[in-house]
Parts: sequence; structure tokens; C-alpha cells
Amino acid sequence: MTTLVAPEARRSWAKRHPALRYALVRVAIVPISLFVLGSVSFVLVFFIPGNPAVTILGDFATPEQVARVNAQLGLDQPLWDRYLTYWSHLLQGDLGTSFFTNEPVLSDIGKFLPNTIELILLSLLIAVGLGLLIGVTGAYFARRWPDRLLGGVTSALQSVPDFFLALVGIYVFFFLLGWAPAPIGRLPIDAGTDHPPFLIFGSLFRGDFSTFGAALGHAALPVLALGLVYSAYFAKTARGSMGTALTTPQVEFARACGLRERTVVRYAFLASRTTVITYIAILFGSLLGGASIVERVFNWRGMGQWALEGVLKVDVPVIQGFVITAGLMTLTLFLLLDLVVLALDPRVSYE
Amino acid sequence: MSETLTTRRASLRLFVRANPGIAVGGGMLALMLLAAFFAPLPYGPTTPDPASVLQEPSGTHIFGTDANGFDVFSRVIAAGQRDLPLALIGTLASLILGLLIGLPLSTKSPWSERLMRALDAFQSFPLIVLSVTIVSLTGNNIQNIVYAIVIINGPRFIRLIRGEALSIRDGRFIEAAIATGARPRRIVFRHVMPNVVDVCLVQCSLTAANAVIVIAALNFLGVGVSPPDPTWGSMVQVGAQGISTGQWWVAIWPGVAIFIAIASLNILANGIQRRVEGS
Repeated sequence: MTTLVAPEARRSWAKRHPALRYALVRVAIVPISLFVLGSVSFVLVFFIPGNPAVTILGDFATPEQVARVNAQLGLDQPLWDRYLTYWSHLLQGDLGTSFFTNEPVLSDIGKFLPNTIELILLSLLIAVGLGLLIGVTGAYFARRWPDRLLGGVTSALQSVPDFFLALVGIYVFFFLLGWAPAPIGRLPIDAGTDHPPFLIFGSLFRGDFSTFGAALGHAALPVLALGLVYSAYFAKTARGSMGTALTTPQVEFARACGLRERTVVRYAFLASRTTVITYIAILFGSLLGGASIVERVFNWRGMGQWALEGVLKVDVPVIQGFVITAGLMTLTLFLLLDLVVLALDPRVSYE
Repeated sequence: MSETLTTRRASLRLFVRANPGIAVGGGMLALMLLAAFFAPLPYGPTTPDPASVLQEPSGTHIFGTDANGFDVFSRVIAAGQRDLPLALIGTLASLILGLLIGLPLSTKSPWSERLMRALDAFQSFPLIVLSVTIVSLTGNNIQNIVYAIVIINGPRFIRLIRGEALSIRDGRFIEAAIATGARPRRIVFRHVMPNVVDVCLVQCSLTAANAVIVIAALNFLGVGVSPPDPTWGSMVQVGAQGISTGQWWVAIWPGVAIFIAIASLNILANGIQRRVEGS
């Protein structure tokens, strides 16, 4: 038996590679989180008042019809059996079908999720780029007029709800100036609603520049509305962490050594990068929710809009599908985040 | 009599000069609340005039009228009756939840660390969708939006209060209190809690600002709205239908009201922060 290792040897192995051990433990937690996530989504159904069969059939259904639909949905089975069936379906990738459209939830997610991911990634790009610029400039000119001016801009942007900024954008850039296309979706109306997933990235990749241009034009307003509002949150964090990083003795020493200002700022930024990266992950999560309302305003046909419509109609499989997908995305994101921070910052404790 | 009045006026002026943020933010907020409840309105906020539909802002209707014939100005002012108190109640509920959970959790035990990680995971979930679910399932009343505010802001309070209480517990005076034989309950209420009040005040006004956004967002989606009662979010939603055809005034004015409410709360938070740091 070569796999048998003495306890002392194992412990010392763990001691010699604390980072590796931390990473392994972190990955090992994932199945547990997945189990909790799946169970939460199962339990969710019991908080929903009323009988799903009545929701589907309407208030004038006969008792026989209700009983038949209940049997179809498997709701007449004992709870434990339902739980097991739920998991066996889930593990096979079967998320059920929508009560109202009869579309499989998984294919709906496949259709709408790419739209949302494109919107979030582009908004994140604006939010992080602009937020970093504002935050770093503010921290560099701390307590002088650029800091005060940018602080005012940040506060103002933080006071606007994203959906309202989107409406103002539509009025100014579509109605008054005519620069932006009508808020009717991802492409001009004659292109229909069926388009390949990842419209923007895909058409750029394929070299289809006319589609790319049209899609980018339609994306401009929602991306700007989300990006501007979320850049304010990002700027505040960046201003704070850069402000701390720029007042450390390390920076003073770098200046005393006669390094160029650009290099000094770069070093200070490197010291605060883990905070910045952590905040990007947090922003991604809140963008997933925030995007849903903006998606509705622009008829973006994204996952958030789809989920909101499902929620408002009490479409149980859709709600479950959204909870599981969003949960999976956040779990993956935070796993990546923890591993990246681990790789970047040797000071993180592994316990 | 006039002597005390002048000294009072002078001390007020002194306060305003020392705390411009608190004075401006708090003043704007108080003004909005007073106007919402006591201002004489030119038209009834819930009585439509079918003869004047979608009129541009003019002398008779200074903010114009919407698609139902409601006077936008009266409704924008009256909506504060619902939005603002609801935001404050939601903030208070979040604060209480934060104190109830955050203070007992302010230990370094592995359990409380694990709970904080769970809270992280919860917070990273798109909570706005969750809160829409909960409010629409619990009966679509405007009062139920309090749940939404607590779900989104409660975790922030818990984290803040726990962190603050943890650092206070390291203080020498806590050690001294334990040495004199104070019970844990006395330590929490007499020694720890008064010291977290400052950060809680700042967080309260930030939370109220966020609550105004949450209320507006939910009402914008039609959640928790009971027509014809005006709320800023539902007014923006009514106006959203006309925004791409040029009827800007129906959506923009309530939006401006949201902006002013949130901005004054943010200014207030900044002012309190300054004062706390300064002292």
C-alpha cells in the first residue's frame, strides 16, 4: 500500500504547502455549496402561496383538471420522492419547463444568458475603467480640487437609479439627438429576434462588421447607463484603497529613492489590487441583478428580464432555474476570486 | 425673549457652519417630508382630469400631466408621503436586525467566521430579483417592500456592526470592565453599543439612500404598487412609455425627486462622517 502515509508526513506536507492546501480545501467546498444551492431552490417552491396547478390553469379550473395537472407535475407524490426526483432531473440538466410558455427552462437560459453576459461584461469594462480612473486620480490629488470635483461627480452618479439614467439616455440620445437606435432590443426590428448567442463578441470574431456595428449601437445606451452608475461605486472603493496605499511608508520610500511619479503610483496600485479585484467580483453579482431592470427598459431579452417576468407571473421552474444559474455563476466567480487573490497576495492567511 | 432667540439663532448658525453636510442634507430631507405631508397641492394627487391628458408643463400644470390626466407636480410632491417614511422604516428595521445579529456574532469563533462567509455568498446573489420575488409573493403591498430593504441592507449592517464591535472588544476598557466583574450583557449594552452608534448613523443614511432606490426600482417594476396612489417609481414607469415619443416630463420629474432625495441622504451621510472623524 503505497498510498498510506504516516500522519506526521501528511501534516508536514500540509505545512510545507499551505497555499496548495488552502486551494484544495476551497475547491472541495464547491460540491457542498452546490448541494445547498440545489436544496434551497427546491425549498423555494414551498414559500410560494397557492397551488401551482391553479396558477397554470387559472381560477376557473375544475377539481379534476387540477388533480390531473398535479399528477403531471408530480405534486401528488410524497415530499421525499419529489426531492429525489428533483435532484435526479437536476443532475441530468433538466430544469423543468416553464408553466406559461412550455419552453424547457434550460434552453431558455441558453438563449437569454449570453445576452446578459455580454451586457454585464461591457458594463463592467466601463465601470472598472472609469471607476479606476476617477478613484486613482482622486487619491493622487487627495483633498485638492480634482479630488473634490471627482468626489462630487461620484456622489451625483450614485444618486441616480440606473433605470432612470437609462430613460434619460433614451430621451436625449434617441428622441432629441437621434444618435442611438430605438430601445427595442439588440438589433434593428427587421432583423427579427432570432440571432446567434453572443451577438457582439461573436460577430466581431467572425468579422461580420455590419452586425457588429448595429449590435454595438443598440448596446451603447444600456451599457452606458449601467457602466456609469456602477463606476461610481467602483470609484469610491478605488479612491479609498488607493488613498491608503499612497500614504504608506513604502510610497514615501519609493519617492525618496527618486522613482518617477508614474512608477510610484503603479506600485501603490499593485499594493491595493486585491481589494480592487474583490470589488470587481462583488460588482458582477450586483450587476446581474441591476441589469435585469435595465434589460426590461431596453427589451434586451436577457436572463434578468426573463427571470423578472417569470417572478411576476409566479412561474416556479423559471424562478428555480434563475436561482440555480445565478447561484452557479456567483459560486464559480468567488472560487476564481479566492484563487486569484491567493496567487496575487502572499499575505492572505490560509487558515 | 429676543435675547434667547438671537443666541439660539447664533448657535444654529454656528452648527450649520461647522456641519454643512448635516445641515444641507438634513434640511433638504426635512423640506421634502414637510412638503409631502403639509404642502397645499394645486390638484388632487389621485383625482385625474380626463380633459387634460399628457399636457406639456405650462402655467396651469407646472410639471405637466400624465397619460391618465393626473397633475405630475401634485403627485411628485405627494409621493414623498409613501416613499420617504417607507425608506426610513426599512432603514430602522435593517439597523435593528444588524444589531441583533451583528453584536452576538462579534466573536472570533470559527462559527461566526463561517456565518460571515455564508453572508458573503448571500450578498453576492442578485438580491433585487430575490426581493421582487418576496414582495410579490407576500401580497404585493407597498409595506412589504420593507422586507426587500432589509434583505438587501441587513447584511451590510451585520458586517459593519460585527467588525466595529470586534475592534472595540480589543480595547483596554473592555478588559477593565471584565476585570471589575461586569456581566457580558452589561458589557455589550453599556460599553460596546454606544461605541458603534457613530458608524451606524453614517450607515443609516446610506441605507436610507439605497432604500429609496430599492423602493423606486420595485415600484418601477409594478411591484408593491396600488394605483392610483402615487410613488416615484410607479410614476417613472408610467412615464417610461412616453419617453421615446418625447413626453419627457412624466418620467423625468419623479426621477428628479428620487435624485434629490438620494443626494440629500448621501450629503447627510458625508456630513455625519466628517463630524464623526473630526471629533
